[in-house]
Amino acid sequence: MLLATIILAVEEDPDSIALLPDAAELIWGFFAFGLLMLAIIKFVFPKLNQTLEDRSAAIQGKLEEADSKLADAEEAKRRYEESIADAQGDANRIVEEAKASADALRAEARERAEAEAQHIIERAQADVSAERDRALQELRTQVGAISVELASRIVERELDDATHAGLVDEYIQRLSNQN
Amino acid sequence: MINVIAAAEFGGEFEGVLEPINQLFNFPPIFELSLFGLDLSINRTILIAWLMMAIVAGVFLYGLRNPQIVPGKFQAFLEMIVDFNRQIALDIIGPKGLKFVPLLTTLFVGIFALNIAKITPLLMLPPTSRAAWPIFLAAIAWLVYVGVGIKEQGFLGYFGGIAFPSGVPKALYIILTPIEIVSTLILRPFTLFVRLFANMVAGHILVVITLVTIHVFLPSPAGWPIAAFAFIASPLVFGFELFIIGLQAYIFSMLTAVYISSSMEAH
Repeated sequence: MLLATIILAVEEDPDSIALLPDAAELIWGFFAFGLLMLAIIKFVFPKLNQTLEDRSAAIQGKLEEADSKLADAEEAKRRYEESIADAQGDANRIVEEAKASADALRAEARERAEAEAQHIIERAQADVSAERDRALQELRTQVGAISVELASRIVERELDDATHAGLVDEYIQRLSNQN
Repeated sequence: MINVIAAAEFGGEFEGVLEPINQLFNFPPIFELSLFGLDLSINRTILIAWLMMAIVAGVFLYGLRNPQIVPGKFQAFLEMIVDFNRQIALDIIGPKGLKFVPLLTTLFVGIFALNIAKITPLLMLPPTSRAAWPIFLAAIAWLVYVGVGIKEQGFLGYFGGIAFPSGVPKALYIILTPIEIVSTLILRPFTLFVRLFANMVAGHILVVITLVTIHVFLPSPAGWPIAAFAFIASPLVFGFELFIIGLQAYIFSMLTAVYISSSMEAH
């Protein structure tokens, strides 16, 4: 009703702005706009949508590639860190081994030195013992001679050598038994 | 200067320049043509509309003839326009709105191109300031959203949903049913038509008055201040009109999406 009123009001005055469409403009406009829409729907959008799909696929692919490269890099880093940790472990082990072998060497050296010292002490003791035996033997001989001489002076009689030796031996034997 | 040249067709006489007002819009046929008893004469607005449609189609066909995955500046610009409409469809209609993106894009760029003829030197006349174009575009919007409503909800479902919105006391239908029918099926396309049409008519008159003022007041020294004012104002008017041109294209495209969206779900 409202529209009809306006249209009627307008139709009465041909000099005012036309509210009714001009048939020629409407029809030619229909063709022009129809062709534009056809061009956009048939030719522009299929290509554009294809490109957008390709683009998102490309971006997706690039993202996946980046992900896999990141994973590779992390794996490499992990291996690298592992190898560093291994090297550290090796170094520690080598130092430990060196320490242990040094300790072993030192202990061995000390043992050997101690053995050597023991040996020297034993030999010295043996030497001393032999020397004492020899001195004792000598002393025994001298004591015998001195005793004989002393005894011969005391008894003022000569004893032949055999008896003399027998007396000394007997005396020494007695001493030894007392010891 | 081009503005002054464009105003030259009014001959430097203010007397009767804007009277009758319809002469700013209605131009005599350039080629007389009559088919099947219909007067199909080609006038200035038809030629401008063809030119603008051809430019838009050419720009899109050329710019996206071989779209690249990594877009150049021109392709990115066109993609931005399409993406703008895609966002309208997604925000208002949702994922189902994607199939209307070509329609909304065509409406947006088509209306923008027709409107921009208003401030295009040598054209200086928007075909959308003639009733035919806004009525035609509103009819497209109407056909699409009514068609979508019938397709989504069925004939009775859609029109029943309009006439008898649910969740309302039955007594209110006496008032509500006529209001809903009129508002959904008549006022929607009518407001689409009037909004675009009136904006373009007013804009064209504003541009013409600005330019004619320069032209009319320039000859006499007493008129120079007014001519100078209009001359300085003309770029501002053009800028303002550019804003209106874009805004109207956006509003038309957006409201079409809103109406499609309302047809998809029952009231």
